[in-house]
Amino acid sequence: MAPPAQSQRSPSPSQPSGKGEVSDLKMQLRQLAGSRAPGTDDTKRELFKKVISYMTIGIDVSSVFSEMVMCSATSDIVLKKMCYLYVGNYAKHNPDLALLTINFLQRDCKDEDPMIRGLALRSLCSLGVANLVEYLVGPLGNGLKDGNSYVRMVAAVGVLKLYHISPSTCVDADFPALLKHLMLKDKDAQVVANCLTSLQEIWTLEASKSEEAAREREALLSKPVIYYFLNRIKEFNEWAQCIVLELVSKYVPSDSDEIFDIMNLLEDRLQHANGAVVLSTIKVFLHMTLSMTDVHQQVYERIKAPLLTLVSSGSPEQSYAVLSHLHLLVMRAPFIFSSDYKHFYCQYNEPFYVKKLKLEMLTAVANESNTYEIVTELCEYVANVDIPMARESIRAVGKIALQQYDVNAIVDRLLQFLEMEKEHVTAETLVLVKDLLRKYPQWSHDCIAVVGNISSKNVQEPKAKAALIWMLGEYAQDMQDSPYILESLIENWDEEHSAEVRLHLLTAVMKCFLRRPPETQKALGAALAAGIADFHQDVHDRALFYYRLLQYDVTVAERIVNPPKQAVSVFADTQSSEIKDRIFDEFNSLSVVYQKPSYMFTDKEYRGPFAFSEELGNLSIGTEPADNVVAAQGVEANDKDLLLSTSEKEESQGYGNNGSAYNAPSYNASTTGASQSSLDLVSLDQPSAVHTTTSFAIDELLGLGMPAAPGPAPLPSALLLNAKATIDPNAFQQKWRQLPVSLSQDISIDPRGVAAMTNPQALPQHMQGHSIHCIASGGQAPNFKFFFFAQKAEESSVYLVECIINSSSCKVQLKIKADDQSTSQAFSELFQSALSKFVLP
Amino acid sequence: MPVAASAIYFLNLRGDVLINRLYRDDVGGNMVDAFRVHIMQTKELGTCPVRQIGGCSFFYMRISNVYIVIVVSSNANVACAFKFVVEAVTLFKSYFGGAFDEDAIRNNFVLIYELLDEIMDFGYPQNLSPEILKLYITQEGVRSPFSSKAADKPVPNATLQVTGAVGWRREGLVYKKNEVFLDIVESVNLLMSSKGSVLRCDVTGKILMKCFLSGMPDLKLGLNDKIGLEKESQLKSRPAKSGKTIELDDVTFHQCVNLTRFNSEKTVSFVPPDGEFELMKYRITEGVNLPFRVLPTIKELGRTRMEVNVKVKSVFGAKMFALGVVVKIPVPKQTAKTSFQVTSGRAKYNPSIDCLVWKIRKFPGQTEPTLSAEIELISTITEKKSWTRPPIQMEFQVPMFTASGLRVRFLKVWEKSGYNTVEWVRYITKAGSYEIRC
Repeated sequence: MAPPAQSQRSPSPSQPSGKGEVSDLKMQLRQLAGSRAPGTDDTKRELFKKVISYMTIGIDVSSVFSEMVMCSATSDIVLKKMCYLYVGNYAKHNPDLALLTINFLQRDCKDEDPMIRGLALRSLCSLGVANLVEYLVGPLGNGLKDGNSYVRMVAAVGVLKLYHISPSTCVDADFPALLKHLMLKDKDAQVVANCLTSLQEIWTLEASKSEEAAREREALLSKPVIYYFLNRIKEFNEWAQCIVLELVSKYVPSDSDEIFDIMNLLEDRLQHANGAVVLSTIKVFLHMTLSMTDVHQQVYERIKAPLLTLVSSGSPEQSYAVLSHLHLLVMRAPFIFSSDYKHFYCQYNEPFYVKKLKLEMLTAVANESNTYEIVTELCEYVANVDIPMARESIRAVGKIALQQYDVNAIVDRLLQFLEMEKEHVTAETLVLVKDLLRKYPQWSHDCIAVVGNISSKNVQEPKAKAALIWMLGEYAQDMQDSPYILESLIENWDEEHSAEVRLHLLTAVMKCFLRRPPETQKALGAALAAGIADFHQDVHDRALFYYRLLQYDVTVAERIVNPPKQAVSVFADTQSSEIKDRIFDEFNSLSVVYQKPSYMFTDKEYRGPFAFSEELGNLSIGTEPADNVVAAQGVEANDKDLLLSTSEKEESQGYGNNGSAYNAPSYNASTTGASQSSLDLVSLDQPSAVHTTTSFAIDELLGLGMPAAPGPAPLPSALLLNAKATIDPNAFQQKWRQLPVSLSQDISIDPRGVAAMTNPQALPQHMQGHSIHCIASGGQAPNFKFFFFAQKAEESSVYLVECIINSSSCKVQLKIKADDQSTSQAFSELFQSALSKFVLP
Repeated sequence: MPVAASAIYFLNLRGDVLINRLYRDDVGGNMVDAFRVHIMQTKELGTCPVRQIGGCSFFYMRISNVYIVIVVSSNANVACAFKFVVEAVTLFKSYFGGAFDEDAIRNNFVLIYELLDEIMDFGYPQNLSPEILKLYITQEGVRSPFSSKAADKPVPNATLQVTGAVGWRREGLVYKKNEVFLDIVESVNLLMSSKGSVLRCDVTGKILMKCFLSGMPDLKLGLNDKIGLEKESQLKSRPAKSGKTIELDDVTFHQCVNLTRFNSEKTVSFVPPDGEFELMKYRITEGVNLPFRVLPTIKELGRTRMEVNVKVKSVFGAKMFALGVVVKIPVPKQTAKTSFQVTSGRAKYNPSIDCLVWKIRKFPGQTEPTLSAEIELISTITEKKSWTRPPIQMEFQVPMFTASGLRVRFLKVWEKSGYNTVEWVRYITKAGSYEIRC
């Protein structure tokens, strides 16, 4: 076992600073070691307590190891336990000293007291030192055959510990076979349970190496073994029952009679006081009946009551764990729960994470009969003081509106929200009204009447502003003031920080112009001028594109910008059904809580550049949320939000990806003159097409496919980077050591960019937009240190960068190492230009 | 497929480590730092009890002034982990005698390490039952029950109990006076709309039992629940007695209850553990008797004045009374001055929670005291949005009343020595989340 973390912070005054006290302790322990005077044990106990408490708070007390071992010759069981704990903590890092303990542990393993035998055996197996495994085999073998069940119980887990230290020793000693024998024969249920857990782990890990182990693992799921466990299930304690039930849930019964037999046998487990047992039982029921549709429905009905009880009892954390599972089931079969909607009403004091799940469930179970009540209840939450809650509630109302046929009343409610005159409510509602109009254009008259009354000054959030602007453009002919509102917005172009809003503004003013040319002409001119001068690449390109389009032919522009639109019938579901099924397969585990299958959060390649790498110096961890990384790697469905919010996200992601796909050539473009930038624009439609099909914002760009575009000119010697490059931290470290520094430079950067350094996530995210990925980062103001890597597109050649930024002097030190040294200069330019664009949005 | 915990930490609110137990070395030693940096010191704290950092997942729970954190590196069973923490805390409490907080942990850390060693091995939960653990981990911890000096004790028998084959009760208990105490504790949850209609209402109840019985007694509990009574009358082939019966939506039992017999005969029969335990839990949604009705009228008179009238009606029997009734009536943040009139109890304005707090120590049944208050507000220009009214909340305890109407019909005790037992039954109804919108 690893020693506890060294406390990084300076110890508080109340805590001992370490050194002096530890050497004091050492002295005192040494004096006591040989003493046989009465009362020695009490003094020892005090000293041991001190050692353990130092160890807990992170002071290194490994220096007293030998004294501790010398003092351990005692009959006092508490002293022994403290000593075992100490030894277990430090042995791994002091293998030589650990050898000292072997002797007394082995002796204790033969003690006549079964308690001491068990404890000694447990500690012996916990040492975790590879050179000492030979000393483990004997005591473990004896332990498994011990007459006392306590010792056998410890030994069963001990085998697993041994396996983790040295698989071959464990297998060679034939321990798995012994465990199997014990599992099927032992009288004591806890021994059986521990054998089962150990065997499951061992054979699962071993299965990739040996066919026999794979066969043994299958054998655990054979009928006789499963029945053996089922028959003894009541002997097990609650925790062991969970393990057995987990095993049973993987068993495939041969026919339906068998399924019913098992379910009858287990039905009373649904009444168990331990929620974990109930959930495990539910898993068995659900999985066994998957192929029997009718019975599966009945199972849902049967498990409803126990689940609802579990939700309403226990701490918020427990009910959250259960709610996540209920959430999964509700999403799979909303109609079964539609009459129970009242259970999903939120209580005022519940934590937000519980409320959020409840809102999603309320949304899912809404149908013709209960929509009115549910929406009424949701409206109560909108008035809630808690802003995130109010937002979620509005989204929920919107989602219900999008899935129901009878939206009339709901639209009225939504429009009432706009009259509440609260900024966050208005903002959230605008986004929803926009989505609603895309699906139900027939409501446009009612909606725009209200939307028209909203002063654009009261809308500050980019998303909401973009939605408002979209409506201004889309319904320009119905909204009297549309051109003038747009005009005033364009006047404040420079104060508009969000590129998304500026993009929407361009498009809206374009649409407006095509419908009401005389009124909009001035605004359009101003917008195009501002857009072309814009420093944001996308905005610049779009403005230029519109400009040329209008120059070329206004009717074509009309066709592209204002094509007749079809109402969206269904918004894309973000999670594929395959992924949902995988989550369902992993019922009763973390997957359900995270709402993604386990491979997404346990496999290394999905977790991204985030590892506790000790070798990369004292860098803290690249704090990138895993979601982002997953998205960048093209795994869709990482998102738990359904429908609306994600359609938003996809959209912005679409932009992001566009950006990275054509950023590299665009550097070229700036040198070869503006004439080429239109070419770039055309060449970009291919990578973006996938993302843009569902997002309205770029719908007009879709037209790009239609005119026969001249084939994109081959761009000379542009360095293209792979946007999805991955590298694992170990490989990075290895490469960093191997490669020579091919380029070392000091540069200065824009102070505005430095200001953004206060948020350490911003830079890695920004660079990722340029296909340069952060693998580790750290440091404190004014010095920050980052490690980046990038990969050439269609080549495996990589670039590694160490980047030290001093935020007070705005200086950057770059060290670049590259597989292909000839291109490192080009890469450096790319890197610097990407870095120079790093300014807070 | 391991579902095991890799480490358990106990931290205080500042983030100092109180207890640190690593079970597996598949996570680094700096996990606790990761927790501090990424959860405790960020806004994340309290937003979600399950969080992924790197390859590890953190489950954390705050209990009084302590965070208990479980770290896992695989796709673990969340419900099981939280239940484990809750059970472990119960266990610690039963050792410390009540409180579980930072001080208790600091004073007992050796004991906690001892217990952590026993209740979890290599990350898998073992035995957490206090009755069994107390057999061999004693508070003083001086002697193990099978220490070599007491070799005359029947060792195999004792350890058989340790590993749970006998389970929750050991043999050979003797009490001079055989007594059983039953406590039926219910909490009513209510959500009422401003128009006085019940939006949501349920009762979660539990039956707590304290047993001081000799030998291996067999107990049978009869309740006035519908299914049980019907079954009984079927078995005895005579019509069910008239009288109120109630329908339990869902029941869960302590592991000592024979569930097979419950399902076939609908009787609750069991061999109880010694001492205190929770026999069963139930939930009821139909036919709940609400002990209190609250009728609020809140008028906003212009921008700076409000009038609040609240009438609370007790609808239980006139001979009964409620204790510790507290009504919390929310008022706007910018409240400047308040004046009250109450017909019973005391009221005051508590600015820290923005509520008028009305306390009535003893509240007899079938009465309806009122509170009327005038509130003056500081007029503000920025606060143009109307005030969102949080719900009125109530706390109370009503002894000898059950909101569900549940009654214990009988409690029978059989023991082979045939001693007499004394049974005590108490009922109490408490407020769960009792909210009335206004």
